[in-house]
Amino acid sequence: MKPFDPGLLREVPAIRRPIALLAVVAAAQGAAAIGLAFALAGLVTDVVAQRDWQTSAAWAAAAFLVRAGLGMLVDRVGATAGTSVSSALRRRVLARWVAAPSEARPAPERARTLAVQGAEAVEPYAARFLPALVAGAVVPVLAVGALFVVDPLSALIVVVTLPLLPLFAALIGRTTEDDTMSRWRALEQLAGHFGDVMRGLPTLVAFGRARRQVDVVRAVSEQHRAATMRTLRLAFLSSAALELLATISVAIVAVTVGLRLTHGSVTLHVGLLAILLSPEAYWPIRRVGAEFHAAADGVTAIDSILAELNPPTDCPALHAERSEDVQRRAISRVVVEGVTYSYPGARVRVLDGVTLTAGRGLTVITGPSGAGKSTLLDLVAGLRTPTNGTVETERTHYVTQRPFLPDGTIADAVLLGSPAGTTPADAWVALRRVGLAGFVAGLPEGLDTRIGDDGFGLSAGQRTRLALARALLSDAPVLLLDEPTAHLDTDATATVLGIIRELALVRGVVAVTHSAELVALADEHVHLDSRRRLPEVAPA
Amino acid sequence: MSTSTTTSRRAPLDLLSGVWGGLALTSGVALTATSGWLIVRASERPVILTLLTAIVSVRAFGMARPFFRYLERVRSHDSALAGLAGARTDVYAALIPLTPARLGRRSRSAVLSGVVDDLTDVVEAHVRVRVPLWSAALAATFTTILTAALVPTAGVVVLSWVAAVGAVTALGLHLERASQPVLGAARAEVSRVAELVGRHTGELQAIGAEGEVLDQLDRAQVSLDRALRRQCRGRALVTGGVLTLTGLATLAMARVAVEADISAGVAALLVVVPAALADALLPLADAVRARARAEQSGDRVTALLDQAPAVAGAGTIPPTSTAPHLRLDAVGAGWVDGRLDVGPVTLDLPPGQRTAIVGANGSGKSTLLAVLARALDPRSGRYLVDGHDVLDLALDDVRDLIAVVDDEPHIFAADLRANLVLAHPKASDEDIVDALRVAGLTEWFAALPDGLGTRLGTGGRGVSGGERARLALARAVLSRRPVVLLDEPVAHLDHPTAAGVMRDVWAATSGRTVVLVSHRHEGLDDVDVVVDLSPGTKE
Repeated sequence: MKPFDPGLLREVPAIRRPIALLAVVAAAQGAAAIGLAFALAGLVTDVVAQRDWQTSAAWAAAAFLVRAGLGMLVDRVGATAGTSVSSALRRRVLARWVAAPSEARPAPERARTLAVQGAEAVEPYAARFLPALVAGAVVPVLAVGALFVVDPLSALIVVVTLPLLPLFAALIGRTTEDDTMSRWRALEQLAGHFGDVMRGLPTLVAFGRARRQVDVVRAVSEQHRAATMRTLRLAFLSSAALELLATISVAIVAVTVGLRLTHGSVTLHVGLLAILLSPEAYWPIRRVGAEFHAAADGVTAIDSILAELNPPTDCPALHAERSEDVQRRAISRVVVEGVTYSYPGARVRVLDGVTLTAGRGLTVITGPSGAGKSTLLDLVAGLRTPTNGTVETERTHYVTQRPFLPDGTIADAVLLGSPAGTTPADAWVALRRVGLAGFVAGLPEGLDTRIGDDGFGLSAGQRTRLALARALLSDAPVLLLDEPTAHLDTDATATVLGIIRELALVRGVVAVTHSAELVALADEHVHLDSRRRLPEVAPA
Repeated sequence: MSTSTTTSRRAPLDLLSGVWGGLALTSGVALTATSGWLIVRASERPVILTLLTAIVSVRAFGMARPFFRYLERVRSHDSALAGLAGARTDVYAALIPLTPARLGRRSRSAVLSGVVDDLTDVVEAHVRVRVPLWSAALAATFTTILTAALVPTAGVVVLSWVAAVGAVTALGLHLERASQPVLGAARAEVSRVAELVGRHTGELQAIGAEGEVLDQLDRAQVSLDRALRRQCRGRALVTGGVLTLTGLATLAMARVAVEADISAGVAALLVVVPAALADALLPLADAVRARARAEQSGDRVTALLDQAPAVAGAGTIPPTSTAPHLRLDAVGAGWVDGRLDVGPVTLDLPPGQRTAIVGANGSGKSTLLAVLARALDPRSGRYLVDGHDVLDLALDDVRDLIAVVDDEPHIFAADLRANLVLAHPKASDEDIVDALRVAGLTEWFAALPDGLGTRLGTGGRGVSGGERARLALARAVLSRRPVVLLDEPVAHLDHPTAAGVMRDVWAATSGRTVVLVSHRHEGLDDVDVVVDLSPGTKE
């Protein structure tokens, strides 16, 4: 785990500015602390000597004011710099994923975790750890430099003892590393348990197992507490050890200063300065260690996200092989040639040498379950990349078997992905055509009625027709439909068949279906045979 | 409220961590004060022996600070984790009677995940708010007493300074609090869009909505940035206020030190004291933020838990038979007050009868199923089990008669055996394998590397939507409950498989009462009664 990966700046240039700003302010804060030490030492000397103290007091107050201003600036810059970095990373990784076929993307659960929690974990890393890292690098140098000018002997002591801190920290880290790793893993599992039983609560309640889980929750939470405390004790102990080390080092400076003071070989002003300046060399380094614990999740998340931005193998981008020279075959809008597909990691071919040409009109694909019908549509839509063979097509709109409706209103669902300038009035027209206008108008908030993830409150048939309304609004020349009549009752089926027939007059429609009625409407009929599923002879 | 009982139970432990934290901060102030005195005194070239006490004190304070800080951190984190364990247990138990009907009609698992995060915020406030506050109060008290003992006016300076810091902190808290709802909403919106894109990438590509959702993300992130700018005012006010006031306090102290009749060493001590105590007061900026956040999280949890259960659990009579006769007598029901989603419906379900509920889309079939499952009380009419009104029967016992295949089956992060055996704790491995076969999972099961010991769920083997539905089916089969309620059980399966599964379902549930809600025609040939729920309703 690297504390700072320069790849971050390379991959996401948008974050250079906030990070640079944070670094500058952190360094300025360190310089202000050193200025404050000078002002305080001057003030104490003047007060003790009973001479004009107002000037130095004004300097001290001014130094505090400068620190106050910088402190507010750090809060301000830090607050938004953290999210600037996490937002930029999130934007980059999501933009990459929506442009990649499914083979080049992580599983949906992992994608969700990285985009939501992962990117969020970057915030404390950028807002707190990076400034601490800059301060840790800059402030000790400034402090030691100032000390050299004021009192070289004290500076020498600091220079000799300062490296002990990182050395000591590394030693502690090394001896506990293996232990820590295995504990982290156990800790993650324990921490995840509560979330898991919470999400599963409806299932547990349904089988009358929820109350029994109360004791399990208690027991696992206690285990989690014990395991966390074992890890934390060690972390706190090592940080206490570092603090003690720093205190002893400052004490050594203080003792030599004290001795020299009693001998009269240094002035009070110099002695005070030495004592006020030397801690400034130590605490920034200790803070780096303290903040690193809080930022560890962020470092892991950055590693994972950067790995997503730089996939190890060269993955083809979405639409990359879908040449635009389809016009050359003006009649054919979809050309699939000798396409073979096997799922990543699987040896069985789902499709083997499939060839298909579809022009304007309705092309239906039939075949037994497992013949790869849906996979074929995925390939035409560009959601997957063929293992072999080519797919050429114009822009497609694909209504999947379980059409996706976002968490939002009915209007959101119908207008998602529609061309710019599509209005709610257009949505009503589309809803009327799929026979849902009456239903939507009867809802308490009409188009603005909220439907949940996957459209809670809507039946499968209503979902299908909502998705068809969305397809009507899209301006894609090719429509792909997977089992468009599967969840529909008789009346609705008739409506949908009518729409498909109408659409086929102007667009290319490719539908996977079991419905004999739909097959009867088709201009072209392709039957996929499951016997194509041959195991690969020699995997490359 | 369960969370507040947890809070009170933890209070004594927190006080102790406050004391340790206070001692650590006090040691820090004392260390700086004594060092200041010592240096000035040393510059007056006294006999070394007269300095010995001060030298020993400096050493002691220097060592005491990390020591007490260690004690404070261990203690406060331990008590917070204990508080978290208690709060989790209490909230989990409190949610059971509210599940499922009161968790919202959509994305229940998201609601439940939100509770997990909110609880962490609430409990973390102990470490991040109370301990710094008490520690600072203790150190401020000590400093006031010390300076007042040396020069009374110096004590007044410290006291006024600390009071002013208190006022600034309160103002900061007010600002943070005001900005919290906007910020929470902005964060939620970013998460929503990020989750939408991350989880449904393929579906969005399918309908060509990639650009649109990325635009949504940009908009959400811009409003988040704006909300953060607004929020940071509170924290910045505290940081800037504490430091500015410290500068003023230093000025005032210098004046007091010059005018008072004290030794040079004491004068030096007084001048450096404000700077030393400022280190104890600066963490209040973080505490203010944590406090505002915890308050909002706590409110959310309270609002969820303060609902009345959707089913009254007042009945005590145990149901008499193991093959119950269910009957709905003009039952109407709804999810939200004032709206009926179904009914009135009269339905007779003698033991062993297979009933299919069909009807126009959205006519309340799932609502009716929720009533039958005792997840929702009838709003009107009566639901009878063997002639007894269910409201008089013991809720758990009635539910024990009924297995539900719901629309959101959860796969636990556990092995396959544990995932199924929860439906019937006494089931043997043979029973489990048999249930898997019935649910059409034989081939899938055969391909698993570790058989029943294969880990599923988070961190384990991924499960597709179809497999998830079949696992839910296997649970119902395994449970051996006399009544099985199926809500669109084969909605995600292709036709031949769906027909096959339904055949197996009927075979495996022979003799049981089955109620099936489905839009599809597979399996309807095998039912005894088809109920068309709302013949007159049009969509």
